[in-house]
Amino acid sequence: MRESRSGCGKATSSPAENYQLARRRTLQVVVSSLLTECGFESAEKATVESLTEMIQSYISEVGRCAKAYCEHTARITPTLSDAVVTLNEMGFNVDTLPGYAKRSQRMVITAPPVTNAPVIPKALIAGQKRTHPSHIPSHFPEFPDPHTYIKTPTFREPVSDYQVVREKAASQRRDVERALTRFMAKTGETQSLFKDDVTAFPLIAERPSSIPYLSALLPSELELQTLEETDSSEQDDQTDSENTPDDPGADKENSVLLAGGVVPSVKVSEENMIDNPYLRPVKKPKVRRKK
Amino acid sequence: IPVVSGFVELTIFPTVVNLNRIKLNSKQCRIYRVRVNDLEAPFIYNDPTLEVCHHESKQRNLNYFSSAYTAAVSAVDPDAGHGELVIKVPSELWKQGDEMNVLKVYIEFSLDQPKGGLHFVVPDVEGSMAERGAHVFSFGYQNSTRFWFPCVDSYSELCTWKLEFTVDASMVAVSCGDLVETVYTHDMRKKTFHYVLPIPTAASNISLSVGPFEILVDPYMHEVTHFCLPQLLPLLKHSMSYLHEIFEFYEEILTCRYPYSCFKTVFVDEAYVQVSSYASMSIFSTNLLHSAMIIDQTPLTRQCLAQALAQQFFGCFISRMSWADEWVLKGISGYIYGLYLKKTFGVNQYRHWIKEELDKMVEYELKMGGVLLHPTFGGGKDKDNPTPHLHFSIKHPHTLSWKYYKMFQCKAHLVMRLIENRISMEFMLQVFNKLLSLASTASSQKYQSHMWSQMLVSTHSFLKSISNVSGKDIGPLIKQWVDQSAVVKFFGSFAFNRKRNVLELEIRQDYTSSGTQKYVGPIKVTVQELDGSFNHTLQIEENSLKHDIPCHSKSRRNKKKKIPLMNGEEVDMDLSAMDADSPLLWIRIDPDMSILRKVEFEQADFMWQYQLRYERDVVAQEESILALEKFPTPASRLALTDILEQDQCFYKVRQGACFCLAKIANSMMSTWTGPPAMKSLFTRMFCCKSCPNIVKTNTFISFQSYFLQKTMPVAMAQLRDIQNLCPKDVLNFILDLIKYNDNRKNKFSDNYYRAELIDALTNSLTPAISISNEVRTVDNLNGDVRLILEEITRSLNMEKLLPSYRNTITVSCLRAIRMLQKNGHIPSDPSLFKSYAEYGHFVDVRVAALEAVVDYTRVDRSSVELQWLLNMVQNDPAHYIRHKILSMLGKNPPFTKAAESPLCNEALVDQLWKLMNSGTSHDWRLRCDAVNLYYTLFGLTRPSCLPLPELGLVLNLKEKKAVLNPTIKPEQGLDTTEMTGNTMGVHIPVMGFTSSEDEIDMESPHDSQAFIHHHLNILERPSTPGQHPVKHPARIILLSDNLVLFFSRTRCTSTVDQAVLSLPVTPLPSSFGKESTSSSKHSGDHHHHHHHHEHKKKKKKKHKHKHKHKHESKDKERDSHAFSNSPASGRSVRSPSMSD
Repeated sequence: MRESRSGCGKATSSPAENYQLARRRTLQVVVSSLLTECGFESAEKATVESLTEMIQSYISEVGRCAKAYCEHTARITPTLSDAVVTLNEMGFNVDTLPGYAKRSQRMVITAPPVTNAPVIPKALIAGQKRTHPSHIPSHFPEFPDPHTYIKTPTFREPVSDYQVVREKAASQRRDVERALTRFMAKTGETQSLFKDDVTAFPLIAERPSSIPYLSALLPSELELQTLEETDSSEQDDQTDSENTPDDPGADKENSVLLAGGVVPSVKVSEENMIDNPYLRPVKKPKVRRKK
Repeated sequence: IPVVSGFVELTIFPTVVNLNRIKLNSKQCRIYRVRVNDLEAPFIYNDPTLEVCHHESKQRNLNYFSSAYTAAVSAVDPDAGHGELVIKVPSELWKQGDEMNVLKVYIEFSLDQPKGGLHFVVPDVEGSMAERGAHVFSFGYQNSTRFWFPCVDSYSELCTWKLEFTVDASMVAVSCGDLVETVYTHDMRKKTFHYVLPIPTAASNISLSVGPFEILVDPYMHEVTHFCLPQLLPLLKHSMSYLHEIFEFYEEILTCRYPYSCFKTVFVDEAYVQVSSYASMSIFSTNLLHSAMIIDQTPLTRQCLAQALAQQFFGCFISRMSWADEWVLKGISGYIYGLYLKKTFGVNQYRHWIKEELDKMVEYELKMGGVLLHPTFGGGKDKDNPTPHLHFSIKHPHTLSWKYYKMFQCKAHLVMRLIENRISMEFMLQVFNKLLSLASTASSQKYQSHMWSQMLVSTHSFLKSISNVSGKDIGPLIKQWVDQSAVVKFFGSFAFNRKRNVLELEIRQDYTSSGTQKYVGPIKVTVQELDGSFNHTLQIEENSLKHDIPCHSKSRRNKKKKIPLMNGEEVDMDLSAMDADSPLLWIRIDPDMSILRKVEFEQADFMWQYQLRYERDVVAQEESILALEKFPTPASRLALTDILEQDQCFYKVRQGACFCLAKIANSMMSTWTGPPAMKSLFTRMFCCKSCPNIVKTNTFISFQSYFLQKTMPVAMAQLRDIQNLCPKDVLNFILDLIKYNDNRKNKFSDNYYRAELIDALTNSLTPAISISNEVRTVDNLNGDVRLILEEITRSLNMEKLLPSYRNTITVSCLRAIRMLQKNGHIPSDPSLFKSYAEYGHFVDVRVAALEAVVDYTRVDRSSVELQWLLNMVQNDPAHYIRHKILSMLGKNPPFTKAAESPLCNEALVDQLWKLMNSGTSHDWRLRCDAVNLYYTLFGLTRPSCLPLPELGLVLNLKEKKAVLNPTIKPEQGLDTTEMTGNTMGVHIPVMGFTSSEDEIDMESPHDSQAFIHHHLNILERPSTPGQHPVKHPARIILLSDNLVLFFSRTRCTSTVDQAVLSLPVTPLPSSFGKESTSSSKHSGDHHHHHHHHEHKKKKKKKHKHKHKHKHESKDKERDSHAFSNSPASGRSVRSPSMSD
């Protein structure tokens, strides 16, 4: 018989695999004997495999459900009734089982070869396992490994030293700028200061613009953004000690320069009344009178 | 292709019976027809300034050119009754002349690609003209209106105006006077702007600008309208938010309303000058606009606005009688502008400015030999030239060197200040008020010649007002500073006579060297003694050099007592530095700058130090800083450092102290102790407390600190160590400033600061140690220079991605690169600069790049670059750039007359000669620039590189003879012009110098002048006293100009008229055909028009009036309507003022 031929799996396979292979093989024997019992003389290997798979699934499902029922009632080991309920639930009439077990033509199958149950690999032990506190009975499960509940910080303290921050900001900005300009220089046209090595100190080639004053006069978006930010924080700044110059003359000059830009609010309501010849609508030409 | 066509109608009231010729000014206009009272009138067009010297002369000497040029300008001088365009009044009307009837002169003309007078800016991008921001504006140096329409281009011929401009519907035409209405043309694709200027105004004060402007009505003064190019409106809003205060200020001090009923500011690109003022409008450079983030530009822009407004009162509203009276207008406008400076920016700024202007002017006069404010000319002969030291004539504004004219303005306002010192400001302002109220009364009068002349100021009338108002005689002052050129140069020294307790002051003068004159009169001397400050007025007399001044204090050392200063303040001083025997702390000569002088005064170093520390006048502080450069001692160092730290001290003094300290530190190199000068000071003021090598993040809240922070690194970079290198410490310090610069939290832009840090790097450069002729390569780059170059390339590259305001950083980088080249660190090569100098870059960048090319040209003696520059002078679209190139070449010349140079060759002489002789006739300023350059390169006489002509001397004599002896020759020319008379089809080409052969051949300007005198001198308009004698007492008086400019095909409106657009580039025949069709259509209108006109005449006889109409206009009704509203009658004087 097949099972006798195949004593054990490959020597190289792991114990866990061996264990499972042995059980599977037993299932195949079961399927084969059932087929024989039913009168088949031979079966394709693939068919046997499929049937084995089906029976394995069935048994697994019975086990899983039985376990579920047992856990549902706060137990950890399934009882007979769990199995019965499960089988019933799966549409199997349990009452027919004793009769089937006692049928005459059944074949006796040898027990699967003994293999070592697979060893559960040791979990990494992190720290000391906690023992139960006194109010928890000792039969209760042990605490899981500490790594599952102990928090282990993985970040470092941010550097808050002013000097280092400035240093970093400065070099970061410089790196970005350098990388950006180098990139632009590499991807576009360049001008060079040296004849021997045109790649040293590349200058992005100038490009004449049709309306050069626009880019030269209008603030860039970046600057506008800065302006908005500083404007919103301006009220706070106003109280800064630095902002109160001791020199009255200085104060005057500053205020003179700072004044402006603010349109008097009173005037806004008058906007509509402004009579300025440049705002008047353009007249339609008069129709020439016939002479 | 810009083409402007239009017509002008002048109404002339003859004041003589035999008026048979009318002379007008016109340049580069193509004149199609002239009609006088509906009769076709023959005309001659001759512009002797097109080509100054006609002979293919081998003379090439500047003396010859200058006199020829002066004669040419004189020949068409409107103040002398001359003009380029001479119209013969049809004989049918001569009788009419007897009855002194009005003559209406109608001139139809066009401008084809004008080279001067009007400037078209058309950006080369996609889109319609409006989307492209295309615009046009009028410009010129002094009276240049003749470039864009025929007129009497004089500041002294006033008339009222009616102006019409038809432009594309997307454009706005801004011009002088009140916009009455805007009307669409019949096809609705164009608009006509109707302006009326009821205040009598000289043609030279008329201007125009057309563009797709954004319009901003001033929120404070609704009569004031601002115009800027598309997208700049936010900047305009901010920049103009201050204007009303300037208005208020002037109206208050002058106790006079702004004279026009409206005011317009227009900001244009490629402006000729930053500020130009015309009647009721000013044209500014668009580069004056700035956002709220910009610090440095803010005061500059406000100053420009204030100048423009001051000129509205004096210059536009009040005009001048003659060129010799120009100084009064420039003086008054400059003076009241100074008052504005004083009020707005403070007394310190004002005094600093006065000192700066005085120094500048004195330096120029000493170098060039005198600026004459009020020239009087005798017979117009060379002998009577009041300024023989100059290589140009000052007889006309158009022959003046630009620099001279600037110094002239400078001197004018300084002299006004002297007059104020003499008669008090109160009287001064009363005089101005009187001038303005007289003019104001006159302006609302109907035409009466004697009334309108009140709107013209002359030296004589101004001085008379002064003596009437103040009762003081300022004759000597005027004689000294106005009628006479040159400045005074004093040398002072002193000794203290202990026995007599007397200060023996010696004041000597140098009045023999060029640009100096002798001063006799009072001079103020201020002596600061231990017991206080005392003013003494000494009398400078012919032969007295020594003056004894009694001292008030004994030379005692009362340690405890405080020392009273001039301003009443009492201060503690450490007197240990003093001379124990003397009570003198410091002495100042002419502290109020009430003489136009240069003072070199000798006093001990400790006195200068006391003066710097304790004298409160910024001028004294600046003088002592200058003097301390010569005393490199620890005590000077301490005094300067103390000033630097004192934040009550005026920031410009502190800036000056920075540079002085750097110089002193260099002189004290071997004994200097401690860190490099200013380093610890800078650290203390601007760096973080916790980490002194890192600068604080920028806030720029205190502007004084900001300016100091900008200046200190630049000054520090001038420090040198024993090897004459910039100390490593300092360089690293500056590099760190750049590295740690952080502007993220700042509401102001740091572009000027960063630019100055680059300047600091530039300053730190020293010549490379090199083996001669070694090729500069990357490998042998010095380590420090490599760091500097890194920064410069990075900054320059970043500018491409995030451009800074006015590209300040690019400008600094270009200068730095040139400096690296010059010092031999990198290969000297102009190609980078040449690319940045091309049209299409921001103007500041171009100028910086051109400056580098000019420098390269000199250092490398490169004829290729010189040619390239001269090409640009001839071809660049921007007039300012052309002017700038020539003036930079003059300042940093490739060679001079004193030295031999391979560049100096015959071809160059020819080229420059051609440039000034004929190549620059469209721009007075540029021609004078070319003359200046020619003078710098070759001198007054024959350039040395020319081959010696045989009998050169004889030729010179001959030439001189020719100058003095004008020959009358152009009979043939006269014939030609007589023939032209009969039909409008006759056309005299006026464009281009190549066609001059076809024109009336004037052998020389003298000839043409003589010709005009001889044949046409029948009419002489009134000339100012002391000018040309009037040979024939004939006069015409110009009453009104009717100007219609029809912008049929300006670049601004090129989308308009396809038919017109398709004209060939040389449009003479075809465009003429077009014009004639339009004019025939037009003449139909015209008749009607004249009907109307006659009608008008009946109604308003003797009143000046003007009207205009467009070619296509069918709006005669409107014309008449406008007319009845227009002149003189019922003008509402509404002044744009807050008080409204």
